[in-house]
Amino acid sequence: MKRFPWSFLLALLAGLGLGLAYAWMISPLRLTDSEPSVLRVDFKDQFRSVIAASYAATGNLPRAEARLSLLGDPDPIEALNAQAQRTISSGDFEGADQLAALAADLEHGTNQPPQVFITSTFEDAKPLNVEVTVTPFPSPEGIPLQLTGMPEIFETQIVETQPVPNTPTPRPTRTPPPTQGAPFRLIAQDTVCDPNLPERLLQVIVFNSSRRQLPGIRIVITWDSGGEEFFTGLKPELGNGYADFVMFPDTSHAVQIALGSDIATDLVPPACRAPNGETYLGGYKLTFQQP
Amino acid sequence: MKPIRWIFVIVTFLIGIGAGLAYGWIIDPVEFFDLTPDTLRADYKSDYVLMVAEAYRLEQDPGTAARRLAVFGAQSPSAIASDALDYARTNGFSDSDILLLQELVTAMQAWSGISP
Repeated sequence: MKRFPWSFLLALLAGLGLGLAYAWMISPLRLTDSEPSVLRVDFKDQFRSVIAASYAATGNLPRAEARLSLLGDPDPIEALNAQAQRTISSGDFEGADQLAALAADLEHGTNQPPQVFITSTFEDAKPLNVEVTVTPFPSPEGIPLQLTGMPEIFETQIVETQPVPNTPTPRPTRTPPPTQGAPFRLIAQDTVCDPNLPERLLQVIVFNSSRRQLPGIRIVITWDSGGEEFFTGLKPELGNGYADFVMFPDTSHAVQIALGSDIATDLVPPACRAPNGETYLGGYKLTFQQP
Repeated sequence: MKPIRWIFVIVTFLIGIGAGLAYGWIIDPVEFFDLTPDTLRADYKSDYVLMVAEAYRLEQDPGTAARRLAVFGAQSPSAIASDALDYARTNGFSDSDILLLQELVTAMQAWSGISP
């Protein structure tokens, strides 16, 4: 009977192990053509910030959406909102506003057309026909959008090219953070009797003058024996400008925005009746807006 | 053991190494994550620089633009912007995108000249 060739098997296994160790540990393939989805978390944040800044400049939502898809977030809107909150805590209100604005526009859509940059100065130039074609973003692979402004350039003039009549009108997209000098108005105060909500829940929603919800707004609530502060935007799933507080029973509360606003007073949790006849304490919903 | 047998053992060993390398590099290579932006494919890099250029057009803040470009590591901001401009020119970017990148390159060159 022939002996089993153990020496060959051992040599093969040793070679295989050595090859795998070299390929996986000592010298793994160097990756040079990676995609944004495999970037480290902080670099993905940086990417999102730049996408939001770019969107604030161009208003090109399809392009921003396509760029965000490259990051591979399961829910890009939630990722933007969460990053907006982190950005607020780091004190970058402008960056947070850009992120929140992009999240809001992705969520609700925007009818505003992309802004087309074709206003540029050329020396020794003279314009002839100017054509502007806005092509929707094709795919992540084709990232460079076909946003074609084609000033034809000839000789000796300084020229600002003029958009053709169907050129979309540039629009302001950024919302400056609220300032001390812009007091908020209490535009609605509703009693809420909803057995599905926690009892004595005070809900506050804060809008800016263009009805965009504002995160990071400090709200001051006071009652007979004390007071507390809370902030909008800590529950982005309920809205960037949303905040809530559980009131004390049989206690009168007053609420105002720290930056300056009307004061909502005499907020005592109201008695409500459930469909089954039981009574419970309801809450309020206050809506503030910058004029 | 006969010498000829040793040769077969060594050949088998080398075949094992080859199979291991093929498996580790081709069939099931190491999966990468947590990478840095300098590993991005050229078109993604260029699009990132284009985003910076779009934002720069509105903000006109070369310091912020340079900070955003610094994610790519050792190269200077003007070199990063120049590389993206070269890529855009050779890969059919629209004229308006190329114009934005040109403006960014000019701004980064000027900024590099005045920054400490």
